Amino acid sequence: MSDARTLDVEIDEDRHSEHMLLNMGPQHPSTHGVLRLILELDGEEVVKAEPVIGYLHRSKEKIGENMSYHKFIPYTDRLDYLAPLANNVAYAVACEKLMGIEAPPRAQAIRVICAELARISAHLLGLGAYAMDLGAMTVFLWTFRERETIYTLIERICGARFTTSHTRIGGLATDLPDDFIPLLEAFVKAFPGRCDEYEAMLSRNKIWVKRTQGIGIISAEQALAFGLTGPNLRASGVDYDLRKAHPYCGYEQYEFDVPIGSVGDCYDRYLCRVGEMRESAKILRQVIDTLPGGPILNRDERVLKSVFPEKEKVLTNMESLIHQFMVATESINAPPGEVWFSAENPKGELGFFLRSEGGLSPTRLRIRGPSFANLQILPELLPGHMVADVMAILGSIDFVMGECDR
Amino acid sequence: MSTLTDHGDPAAGVALHKAFPAFTREPVVYRGDVTVHVDVGHEIDVIRHAKDKLGYAMFMDRFGADRGEEAEPRFDVITILYNLKTDKRLHVCLTLPGPDPETPTLIPVFRGANWFEREIYDMYGVRFAGHPDLRRILMHESFPDFPLRREYPVEGRGSHQAPRRALGGTRDAVDGHVAVNFIPSVPPEAGPDAEAGGESVPPGGHVPPGSKP
Repeated sequence: MSDARTLDVEIDEDRHSEHMLLNMGPQHPSTHGVLRLILELDGEEVVKAEPVIGYLHRSKEKIGENMSYHKFIPYTDRLDYLAPLANNVAYAVACEKLMGIEAPPRAQAIRVICAELARISAHLLGLGAYAMDLGAMTVFLWTFRERETIYTLIERICGARFTTSHTRIGGLATDLPDDFIPLLEAFVKAFPGRCDEYEAMLSRNKIWVKRTQGIGIISAEQALAFGLTGPNLRASGVDYDLRKAHPYCGYEQYEFDVPIGSVGDCYDRYLCRVGEMRESAKILRQVIDTLPGGPILNRDERVLKSVFPEKEKVLTNMESLIHQFMVATESINAPPGEVWFSAENPKGELGFFLRSEGGLSPTRLRIRGPSFANLQILPELLPGHMVADVMAILGSIDFVMGECDR
Repeated sequence: MSTLTDHGDPAAGVALHKAFPAFTREPVVYRGDVTVHVDVGHEIDVIRHAKDKLGYAMFMDRFGADRGEEAEPRFDVITILYNLKTDKRLHVCLTLPGPDPETPTLIPVFRGANWFEREIYDMYGVRFAGHPDLRRILMHESFPDFPLRREYPVEGRGSHQAPRRALGGTRDAVDGHVAVNFIPSVPPEAGPDAEAGGESVPPGGHVPPGSKP
């Protein structure tokens, strides 16, 4: 008999086994959608990774070139389907930039509420799924508790929980209901405590720290070369947030910090997202305090022409009936020109490029989905990591295939 | 209120034009967005200059656009760059003649151009010389058309390779997969195919006018 611990086992460090191809996805729980990864493995170590995308391609850009500007709004819901309200806002502002109009102050403030609720909701899902992939099931259930509250709020805003289509070019579809602000206030008051709970579960959790710190480090140079945006870029130490750099919808009125990472690993990306949720709650608090009154739709003639009149008037007034018919058959006539507008969405910078040659629909509608750029870094990032780290990295990059494949 | 019309820096556009007066046009400014049009063959140098000398070090987007079949030159390749120091954006637009456009790849300047160029190839058929992996990215590998070209109908051109009539299935030319239609929704003799004289009909049954199957 000999002590097992003193057995002399020779391990040849240079010995490499035959490489194995592992197909991960497109139906895999940790790929959060239909991402397919072809991994070349040497034992447990990833040697080469090739993401295969396009499974959710619905040719949105082509569709957008064949319909009027307004009709495209429901399609934007399905880009980043975890933050439809934020997509609506980004697209509406892009159209407004092309047409040279602006939403009234109240509409802009409500858009900020929408965008920040969407951000919190998207980050909660990202955090919950990320934690669940690494074995922390409780966090997932807790984040869904808050997501339920947010979805109830979103339902109060626009009647839909998921596919909101809430913005209109030049304003919003509906104003806030009377009982909305108290509900939002209660949520904003309770939310920082909820963030403390998540952090208590994770930030100093030994397993979480071991699985995320030093894993998937993205340098600032890499992040910029690949066009990473959003929390993934900021975790690498680049201070770039469109709400600060090019404020839209009146973001310059609100005080908030932008959390920046120092290492750029999975742990930093987690910290940035939790920090952003806390800041979003701060912004919501300020919007509640300063919410202006007034109309929610620009009274610009072109906008009025493109909005359905009140239903009661349609049934009683001939002009309104004609108006309704006109809106249903044609829409805003945009001036010729081309603009680019991008908004700071939960996953990063969602950009819209609109080229108009005049007329009722754009001749080019480009959508820059942040997840498309964020995923492109995987072939450079994954090699050298273990297969189990792939889950951590995917969870920390927090992508959504709807806007990647478009 | 926030302004949406200060996103570009006209001075940077002018500086870029001054650096390459022979190959670039005067910058176009629309709603504050600055676009520099550049001649075929000089795009990479111009973008490298903007990155190294003017500080536009962040690659934001690269995408195609089609001016229509009649237009000559026809295809645009637009690159959006961002300057983190001045917080300004710059658009560089390259216009290529059709119908078989080709231009050098931007990967040596920005590695991140890789997937974006694959998408332009996928959608418009613009080939990027020197690209290491120029394959389709969003569409299926064996898709025969470039769907974002203007002449491609929004309904599509029907099913290109679904073996609707062959119950035994046929072999896919590209990856060797065999497609088998186990339960035909319409019996072959009673279906629309019989009336159409054996022409292939897309699954929706709708053939857009003037389109080739």
